[in-house]
Amino acid sequence: MIGQLKYAVKYALGLDRAGNNYTVHPDDTFLVSYPKSGNTWVRFLLANLIYPNESVGFANINRLLPAPGVLSKRFLSKLPRPRILKSHEPFDVRFRKVIYLVRDPRDVAISEYHFDLKKRYIAADMTLEQFLKPFIAGETSSYGSWWEHAASWIGPRYGNPAFLLVRYEDLLADPVGETAKIAEFLGIQADEGRLKTAVERSSADRMRKLEKQDADKWTGTKNTIQDIPFVRTAKSGGWKDSLPRDAVEQIEVAWFPLMNFLGYDLASKELDSKAVPPWLRSGQPT
Amino acid sequence: MAGVKRGLGLHIPHRSLLILPDDIFLVSFPKSGNTWTRFLLANLRFPDQPASWANIDRLIPDPMGTTKRVFDRMPRPRIIKSHECFDPRYSRVVYIVRDPRDVVVSQYHYHRKLRRVEDDSPIEKFVTRFLAGETCPHGSWGQNVATWLYTSEGGPRFLLLRYEDLVADTPRELRKIVAFLGLTATEEQIAQAVERSSADRMRKLEQAQADKNGLFRGSRKDLSFVRAAGSGGWRSDLPAPQVARIEAAWGHLMQHLGYELTTQPRDCESFRILSGSAHNL
Repeated sequence: MIGQLKYAVKYALGLDRAGNNYTVHPDDTFLVSYPKSGNTWVRFLLANLIYPNESVGFANINRLLPAPGVLSKRFLSKLPRPRILKSHEPFDVRFRKVIYLVRDPRDVAISEYHFDLKKRYIAADMTLEQFLKPFIAGETSSYGSWWEHAASWIGPRYGNPAFLLVRYEDLLADPVGETAKIAEFLGIQADEGRLKTAVERSSADRMRKLEKQDADKWTGTKNTIQDIPFVRTAKSGGWKDSLPRDAVEQIEVAWFPLMNFLGYDLASKELDSKAVPPWLRSGQPT
Repeated sequence: MAGVKRGLGLHIPHRSLLILPDDIFLVSFPKSGNTWTRFLLANLRFPDQPASWANIDRLIPDPMGTTKRVFDRMPRPRIIKSHECFDPRYSRVVYIVRDPRDVVVSQYHYHRKLRRVEDDSPIEKFVTRFLAGETCPHGSWGQNVATWLYTSEGGPRFLLLRYEDLVADTPRELRKIVAFLGLTATEEQIAQAVERSSADRMRKLEQAQADKNGLFRGSRKDLSFVRAAGSGGWRSDLPAPQVARIEAAWGHLMQHLGYELTTQPRDCESFRILSGSAHNL
């Protein structure tokens, strides 16, 4: 009862967590990705790009590049527009303008496994092999499986001018060039110098240091196992060393058409490396 | 006041509805036979309470229009109605799809009933908005269908039904739903549910209970919600150029669903959805 009352008061004051029940404006831009696909890194990149005079860190990232789910409706309604918001949601028709960040699911699997251990979402003795089946079935995340997530966004929106598809791997290979593309999509004027500064300020090394400093001040790292870092390797292709061959095959068998489309080379030779989802062949967005 | 309502569970949950693992979602784009299927399932599941416009929102509620308290008090497994695009939290989904050429005609008349469209407003204008997804808050027909098919078709938690098949052989399609949900029903029970959900009966109930459902509040009484309740009406009601526009936008999806096109498809390649074999693991 006390809990309900507390919630009622918070709700009346607009101080309850917005969750999924916040107002989306037509001029909002969403930075969307499946979890563990580089979303936090891009939030840092954009925050550093947009607010060069702020010292961007884990303590203020929720304010600078807000995650609506964990913020209050009052805070969200007071943000200057147009807003840039972070999201892990699968397709949401209200999101008109979307930067969709995608990452090789073989690396996502490893990253999510470590993150779920850190968050105590899974048992401490669960092996990566055991994690894989529920991961592929979409049972390890409330946002669905990697396929469901990517297909729900890329399917209806690919080719739409208000949809920018960014690969985490491209961002790693050429952070300045890819950040420039995102800046252009957002209509942010940024010269090479400003882009470079933003990239340097968001480097994995720097983010690791900031994480140590502020781990207790951010929703992503508060009350988690601190021996397991949030900013881990920040690399691509880690699956080649740390994902068992059998696990690689399971992921590829499940999702190869979309992986082909996204340019993630298959290790399993018996799968058709030319097959892509037919809805991506048919051209126009729905 | 809003806070008090909230505390008592008298608010509409919208997207914050707590979803339970055994929930069943009856999903479709609007004007695709969702209400009819709600009647069918409600009549099958609750034979002691014949479905009507007065109780349907309690028997098979909509998170966008029914209070949280109703959801909290429902017997499980709950059957919940939705028009939303893909939502991974929906544990089991019966998705009803209907030929968009019929959907657009149906929605046009529905909007006339709701006084959102004037009688003399040309259907071309409506088709433009329909294609752009501006006639309802659930995306365009193509988006809504695509988000479900691309993510879920072929999976064990997803049953795809065509409205046209429901019209052609209602008991057969209803048995598919029963099997999908792991329920049992005798032929008599199926027949009774079909009978109690006939278009005739739904029309009569609508006339008697027009003030009992929020859906009709403030709407025109000279137009009914239950209209033709058939398929293929577009052949006479939708001008050929409008048919062509819809086919140009969504021809590949329509072909995949078995809706024959009147125009040459843009893409001749056969359309098969590879939703990955993850579902077979």
